[in-house]
Amino acid sequence: MTTPVTIVMIEDDEGHARLIERNIRRSGVNNEIMPFTDGTSAVNYLLGKDGSGLAHKGHALLILLDLNLPDMSGIEILRQVKENKYLKSTPVVVLTTTDDSQEIKRCYELGCNVYITKPVNYESFAHAIRQLGLFFSVIQVPPAAS
Amino acid sequence: LQILLLTAGFLVLVAVSAACVVFVNKAREDSGWVVHTVEVENQTNALLLEIRRAESAARGYLLTSGPEFLRDHEDAVAQILPDLDKLARMVGDDPVQRENIRKIRTAINTRLGQFVQEMQFVKQGEQDKATALVREAAAGDTNTTIGNVGTAMREEEARLLVLRTANADRSQTMASTVTLAGSGLVIALAGISIFLVRRESQARDAAESRLRDNNVNLEATVDERTADLREANEEIQRFAYIVSHDLRSPLVNIMGFTSELEELRDSIFQRIAALGHAVAAAAVPVVPVDAEPTLQGEDKQLSEDFTEALGFIKSSIAKMDRLISAILNLTREGKREFDPVRIDMRELIEAIVSTLAHQADEAKAEIRIAPLPDLVSDRLALEQIFSNIIDNAIKYLKPGVPGEIAIRGRTRLGFAVFEITDNGRGIDPKDHQRIFDLFRRAGTQDKPGQGIGLAHVRALVRRLGGTMSVSSELNQGSTFTITLPVHWNANNRNADS
Repeated sequence: MTTPVTIVMIEDDEGHARLIERNIRRSGVNNEIMPFTDGTSAVNYLLGKDGSGLAHKGHALLILLDLNLPDMSGIEILRQVKENKYLKSTPVVVLTTTDDSQEIKRCYELGCNVYITKPVNYESFAHAIRQLGLFFSVIQVPPAAS
Repeated sequence: LQILLLTAGFLVLVAVSAACVVFVNKAREDSGWVVHTVEVENQTNALLLEIRRAESAARGYLLTSGPEFLRDHEDAVAQILPDLDKLARMVGDDPVQRENIRKIRTAINTRLGQFVQEMQFVKQGEQDKATALVREAAAGDTNTTIGNVGTAMREEEARLLVLRTANADRSQTMASTVTLAGSGLVIALAGISIFLVRRESQARDAAESRLRDNNVNLEATVDERTADLREANEEIQRFAYIVSHDLRSPLVNIMGFTSELEELRDSIFQRIAALGHAVAAAAVPVVPVDAEPTLQGEDKQLSEDFTEALGFIKSSIAKMDRLISAILNLTREGKREFDPVRIDMRELIEAIVSTLAHQADEAKAEIRIAPLPDLVSDRLALEQIFSNIIDNAIKYLKPGVPGEIAIRGRTRLGFAVFEITDNGRGIDPKDHQRIFDLFRRAGTQDKPGQGIGLAHVRALVRRLGGTMSVSSELNQGSTFTITLPVHWNANNRNADS
């Protein structure tokens, strides 16, 4: 990635987080990764202290989001991000174990850009994450601005 | 009680009618007696009148010797005896009057004798003797006796008249009294009857309204229980869903890091091999170094153990993942909303059979489809149900025996009953329940499978408001019976979400 895009990874399972990070690195993506293990701290970071999202004005972010979080639903975070005028153009990749079609549909309706189901089969998992890393390296991420 | 009342009323009516008839008859009889008495009196008067007439005619004849008086006298005399006989017949029942008749007959006979003598004397021209006889007769007691007896008879009849009139009156009074009393009784019985009928109908109304209340209560209770069951069912499904999801998350880690370990193992053993070779090379420099470093002896054994352990972990994880997926699919099926449409069952079964044609050919199985009743139900669910059952029938045929699979159907009381019969290996009766349990299988485990199919089928059949059962003996083939409502709608059992 040419622009200094920060990858915000919201994932409560540290093992998953580690595996994801490892595989992203293996695909040659060296951007900064900000890991969060719960929804509240992630939302606080994304929207800033004032809750407006202004803190990230001009920064390019990419959000990796798990739906099953201990304190809030990932869908709620997705909704808040997509409703925020600074963050709404930030790409959101939902990466979760849920493969329920209703859930997937809902995420896309709320404006998620990519929905990936975590396969239990590690080869598939690693492959999916590496593909995602390749995808990260080619997509253009707009800076968070109105 | 009603019948008793009606019977009583009827009996009273009969009794009243009978009494009326009796009393009316009595009254008529009494009236008859009254009339009879009057007639007797008349007859008595007529008799006395004739006697007087005879006497006065005799006197007239005595005075004038006119033949018309003689004729008149003879007429009167001729009339006297028949009149007397008539009177005697009329009062034959009355001892007092009979006595009187006897007296008057004697007197009349005496008098008639005198008349004859008188006439004799007159005819012979002995007027004096005749006159003397008349005087004697007038002075004698014969005439008096006749008069007295006549009076006595009249008085007797008058007494009887009073008596009989009173009798007749009493009879009539009795008749009307009985009629009145009977009518009163009947009206009273009718009143009681009406009262009882009204009371009974009130009781029936009360019972009916109670029954209605009970029905409403019962329905409410059933609704409540159904809602409870539905809630419990939904909770179980949510539970299964959440548990299987949450189980999956650690599984991703276990699998992931196991794979990482595998890669680590490769690097570790390569390094061990390299080190081993380095040591060996240091000791024996002539060994060529371009060859791939391979493990020797104990190191090789270690590597193989490592690989074996990782293999078990990975295959177990894969199995666990399949089981979790199966549970997830089941809960997902439980959540899916049914869409009832009219289904041509024969067409549906034929489509299933054609997709299974390859397997059927391999097993040398022949599938016969009898005429089937059509349903209004969920197409996808029915496809899953029947394809599972038919697939099982083909899968578990006896090896080496040509398969025969028959699908029959009939309707009964708003339900369609389908029977899928095969001549396959059969199921031991002790396993009949077990085969419907999740992850449980029966018989020789020589075919791939998860033990999900029949559990899934039964869950679907239940959601469609039906039942299913199996009848089978080991080595005797099996018959699966599926009963489904002909017309499924969302109000049927388990119509959740």
